[in-house]
Amino acid sequence: MDRVTPPAAPPLRAAFLRLFMVQASWNYDRLLGVGMGVAEEPLLRGLRGTGGDGTAYRAAVARGAHFFNAHPYLCGLAVGAAARAEYEGAPPEQVERLRAALCGPLGALGDRLVWAGWLPLLSTAAVAAIALGAGWGAVAGFLLIYNLGHVALRWWALRAGWDAGVGVVGALRNPVLQRTPKLVLPAMALVAGFCLPLATRWLVRPFPLVGALGCAVAAVLGVVLLRWQPGRIKSLWIGLAAVALGLAGGWLWR
Amino acid sequence: MSAGTLALLLVWGTLVGLDLVSVAQMMIARPIVAGTVAGLLLGDPETGVRLGVVFELFQFDILPVGAVRYPEYGPATVGAVAAAHALGAGTAWGIGAGLGLLVGLGAGWSLHWVRDANARAVRRAAGPLESGDIRVLAHLHAAGLARDLARAAVVTAAALAAGWLLVRAGVAGLPPRVLTLTAALAGGAALAAGVSGLLRIVGRGSSFRWFAAGLAGGVAALWIA
Repeated sequence: MDRVTPPAAPPLRAAFLRLFMVQASWNYDRLLGVGMGVAEEPLLRGLRGTGGDGTAYRAAVARGAHFFNAHPYLCGLAVGAAARAEYEGAPPEQVERLRAALCGPLGALGDRLVWAGWLPLLSTAAVAAIALGAGWGAVAGFLLIYNLGHVALRWWALRAGWDAGVGVVGALRNPVLQRTPKLVLPAMALVAGFCLPLATRWLVRPFPLVGALGCAVAAVLGVVLLRWQPGRIKSLWIGLAAVALGLAGGWLWR
Repeated sequence: MSAGTLALLLVWGTLVGLDLVSVAQMMIARPIVAGTVAGLLLGDPETGVRLGVVFELFQFDILPVGAVRYPEYGPATVGAVAAAHALGAGTAWGIGAGLGLLVGLGAGWSLHWVRDANARAVRRAAGPLESGDIRVLAHLHAAGLARDLARAAVVTAAALAAGWLLVRAGVAGLPPRVLTLTAALAGGAALAAGVSGLLRIVGRGSSFRWFAAGLAGGVAALWIA
């Protein structure tokens, strides 16, 4: 494929907005693939003029919609990089390899940084703040601070991918990206530990002694069961069993 | 509960259901947000926050990585808050929690059905997709979004209807000890889910020492507060 000059003002904003719905057509065949194609399409419009009949554009759109799986906040990195690679004249196989190579690292980084770091850090902080009497203001604070990080990460990913093209692996070595999990994960662990005693007291406080004891017994038994058979016993089933026991036990408790 | 409030709860629950996967993922789908806003819409923020925290603890036990299947607690929390508010009594939130857990289970299945329907649509459109037909691509994406919108609305409506049925069935008249024990055990199960889920996220490495330090700090804060 020939090299094509990328647009001087790439429509990154259009791609960025579409990335907020990248999972709207999530499916078991291509996972995020269709959404990736939709998000990448504005960036590929500069290819419509090449090949006379838009062949290069359509081929690039088709490649963009192939199988893809990664953390949704970091998908922009692959969208930007793949689109830029199309302009740089990378062979189709190289673009496919680039996308495939990004799935694992972007998934692992996003899971570590967001699902196991940023999100539980702020969520447990909100629960602790509520337990200390902050009320719904804690929830507003959670939403605001979480989304400052969330939106910034999405924008950085798209911008870095577009700037780097096939050299996108270098963007993943960004020092901020490397250092942040080292700060966020211990902070999350610290706040999670801090939150649990406070949440326990906040939940137990309204109950009489028998209720508080019941709550404690259910919590201890639940933890034992969930840790004994992780993945096989679900917390949801324990919750339903607890409610059923509460209804039955309440009738017997005179 | 007025028809206007019910309509607002339906809209809110639908937005919450969309936020989980399809649109934005700005975390209004987190139970702590979904429940609190539902409580504010009902003029009962206390019940909203309480059930929000209970389901947030259950949510800690879910790590949405890859194609893993999981319950969906966002619209379920909205339904739970509406039910607990309609039941009235201070500890009726245990019944609300039970309803929410059932709805969360069904909502998880509905996510699977939508993903399956999306996959069938993608398979049917494989030819045009491979030729780079942008109209087909956009249509597939919009149809996926519409399916999830309908799914979220149906799940929320079902949750609200189930709450209404509980009120009609006279659950509000249950003896206080039944409501109290149900809430206590549901709270205990939520704590178990929260502890187990957070321990899994923290792991056994160096983060565990930070977790232990936080735990000590939390216990100290209990003495001080």
